Amino acid sequence: MKPAADRESTDPTATGAAPADGTPAPSAPETPAGPQSPSVAAPAPAGARAVPSGPAVTGTMVRLKWSLLANGLQQSAGRTAAFVTAAVLAVVVGGLLLLGLLAMRGRVNADALAVFLTATTALGWAVLPLFAGGGDETLDPGRMAMLPLRPRPLLAALTASSLIGVGPLFTLLLALGCTLALAHGAAGALVGVLAVPLVLLTCVALARAVATANSRMLASRKGKDLALLSGLMIAFGMQAVNLGLQQIGDQGGLGALRPYSDVLRWLPPASAVEAVRAAGAGEYALAALGLATTALALLALLWWWLRSLTRLMVDPDSSTIQPAQDKTRKPSGDSAQRGLGRLLPEGRTAVVIERTLRYAWRDPKTKTAWATSIGLGLLMPFITSGSVYSACWVAGMMGLLMYNQFGQDTSAFWMVAATISDRRDAYVELRARSLAIALITVPFTVVVVVVSAARLDDWGRLAPALGIALAVAGVLVGLGAVSSAYHPYSIPQDSGYRNVAPGQGALAYLSFLLGAVVGALLCLPLIVLLAVLSDGGAAATWVLLPLGVVYGTAVAYGGLRVAAARTADRLPEILSAVSKG
Amino acid sequence: MSSQPVEPDVHTPAGGAAAVRIEGLWKRFGEHVAVAGVDLELPAGRFVGLVGPNGAGKTTTLSMVTGLLRPDSGTVRISGHDVWADPVSVKARIGVLPEGLRLFERLSGRELLLYTGQLRGLSKAETERRAGQLLDVLDLSASQHKLVVDYSTGMRKKIGLAAALLHNPEVLFLDEPFEGVDPVSAQTIRGVLERYTGSGATVVFSSHVMELVESLCDWVAVMAAGRIRAQGPVSEVRGEASSLQEAFLELVGAGERGSGHELDWLGGTADVATAAPAAAATPDPTGPNPAAADGGSR
Repeated sequence: MKPAADRESTDPTATGAAPADGTPAPSAPETPAGPQSPSVAAPAPAGARAVPSGPAVTGTMVRLKWSLLANGLQQSAGRTAAFVTAAVLAVVVGGLLLLGLLAMRGRVNADALAVFLTATTALGWAVLPLFAGGGDETLDPGRMAMLPLRPRPLLAALTASSLIGVGPLFTLLLALGCTLALAHGAAGALVGVLAVPLVLLTCVALARAVATANSRMLASRKGKDLALLSGLMIAFGMQAVNLGLQQIGDQGGLGALRPYSDVLRWLPPASAVEAVRAAGAGEYALAALGLATTALALLALLWWWLRSLTRLMVDPDSSTIQPAQDKTRKPSGDSAQRGLGRLLPEGRTAVVIERTLRYAWRDPKTKTAWATSIGLGLLMPFITSGSVYSACWVAGMMGLLMYNQFGQDTSAFWMVAATISDRRDAYVELRARSLAIALITVPFTVVVVVVSAARLDDWGRLAPALGIALAVAGVLVGLGAVSSAYHPYSIPQDSGYRNVAPGQGALAYLSFLLGAVVGALLCLPLIVLLAVLSDGGAAATWVLLPLGVVYGTAVAYGGLRVAAARTADRLPEILSAVSKG
Repeated sequence: MSSQPVEPDVHTPAGGAAAVRIEGLWKRFGEHVAVAGVDLELPAGRFVGLVGPNGAGKTTTLSMVTGLLRPDSGTVRISGHDVWADPVSVKARIGVLPEGLRLFERLSGRELLLYTGQLRGLSKAETERRAGQLLDVLDLSASQHKLVVDYSTGMRKKIGLAAALLHNPEVLFLDEPFEGVDPVSAQTIRGVLERYTGSGATVVFSSHVMELVESLCDWVAVMAAGRIRAQGPVSEVRGEASSLQEAFLELVGAGERGSGHELDWLGGTADVATAAPAAAATPDPTGPNPAAADGGSR
């Protein structure tokens, strides 16, 4: 690549991305671009500046992508491990899918499965950039904006470089499997040869087009928030897969996919896979239509990508433009909160409850924790169905939110620390946080327990189950407060997956383990009582409701008191423990 | 309305009394000694600058003085109250704007102030009144409903300053309040701080922009390698030197390093090489000047 004149004049033989000092692997995209960038200001002879040709750019981009991958691996052992795991997983899963699809060759529902898998993979490619933004630096056109590159060669180069990676490898294996499962006869083979690259290119172009079109959004705070919710999305995605597999199992086989595949086979890129089947079956018109649909979609995606790319490279970054300031805007939006704020008395309790609930909604990490607790709390009673008592999961999951309270604040905990002067302040602070959790947990638990009782038509166990559930919530809130004060740890704010800062993992897991054991021990008296009372007939077990409420409240109160004393005494230590993220 | 955002209702500036008295303050992080025996006495009612190069221990010192970091040894008294023995008296008297720590950024600017004010024990109505005035004076009214996470650096510093001033503290500690702040915001912050010290309160702030310190402060403490190298009225610390910057470089022992001979290829022609680095010598006095602390240009 010779994008700049001064480079060309001094080193006419240079054709690659390698910098002048001979370093083979540029560690960042700037490296190959670096020597050229100052050329704008450098006193080079006018008219000598060249624009690199298409193939040269493609070669450079492919080498750059390769270098980025290789250098990323050298950077840290953790990254290497993650990459190797992903690569192995892709090869193993992709390979197994390939073998599975080969085994399906000639079977009844092979086409339904192939079409479904292709469509699902394409969907994955479409949403991937939204949740895994910033993983690939060659993807960021902003980095190329200063280089003298024309959009079309750049597009070809980016497409080529996109084909390097774990994702494309997996997609290639899958597309190969789908084609091999369906290709019959010479016509089928011929269409298959076209279909595999079409599927792969369409998937890659789809991901790139989506990423480029949303690149401003993805680089903004909202985009980063979205990426932080990716852990949650993956959890929900896996649950969907789980339910889907269950459905397939329930309905006796892959025939369950048929209604979906009947629609999906008309849509790109699955239509290319359908074309392979059609060609083998002699339905040539259908095959041509299928291939054409995917090819057209690929062209449309490339056009969309090109347009976004061009716009991105010539438009100013709107993030530096001052937004129109609107002084007349009323504090709307949080009317519900304002309503809540009005209901609460003045002082620390009210503002802390308000802040905790606002964070549960606005802060992606906190939101993930709340959504996980609520989601799992709803799910567990249904997965482990059979007893009203399984609704206690809800209370348990919600109670976990009280753990590592100060870690959830991050280093902003200094604002709390600066206003806590004595144990009373610390107690009020912690009590307000537990009240915020209780405000959601108690009604939610009541609803889930009542629904469980109604679903199982087991009203006799309603009162004891509710009593034990509320006791569990109280115990966990109390223990969570103690754990927050004695074992605070940082929650990294830049990752959707990691919830413990490096070096604090053992501390976090130990405190969780300890909390679980102590929590179980603390709940034991009620469970024993339940067993004893159940022997004497179900009628007597209702006392567990008031008992559970009183017991849970008492344990929570005790925990808050212990935690408050520790918190007030160890504010600087807590601050430094939670400021590592 | 905006002429008197902060009423000096709790100040009892005793002329000449020490607002902050630090004795034998030490802090080690493993092998590294961040603060090595600091003794300081800062007068009340003054604008005090704590200056020093990066890594001098300014932030560590301010964190220990404000109760956010526990010292290994030493005592800190604010208006006569021990920071670690009597936090109830101290925390009500000080305001803090730390550097490098987050705020509750998922609150809007206004929500953050209402939250902080009520944590400080102010009534809701009073907090709302003061917050409104501070937002006005600091030119944040238009952004008061925007989340702090979307604020620029200058706006963050201003909202942090507002949160620190809300309860009208006697002593205000600001860690690098002008770092990364644009000149307009810097002027706004400066105006508020000058008005505030004018009412008898004490401001202690750290910085490495010497011009700013010289024009703003009447008392200065120079820190390097965890120790205080000089303290006193600005004119005294400046001494014979032509500027505080020069006196500072002398005190922290920065030599003539980097005068430019190694970079004689830099610039259009070889003979302007020595003049080129000096181009950074006329920064905006209120703006950040990252080159100043490196002391390369003089």
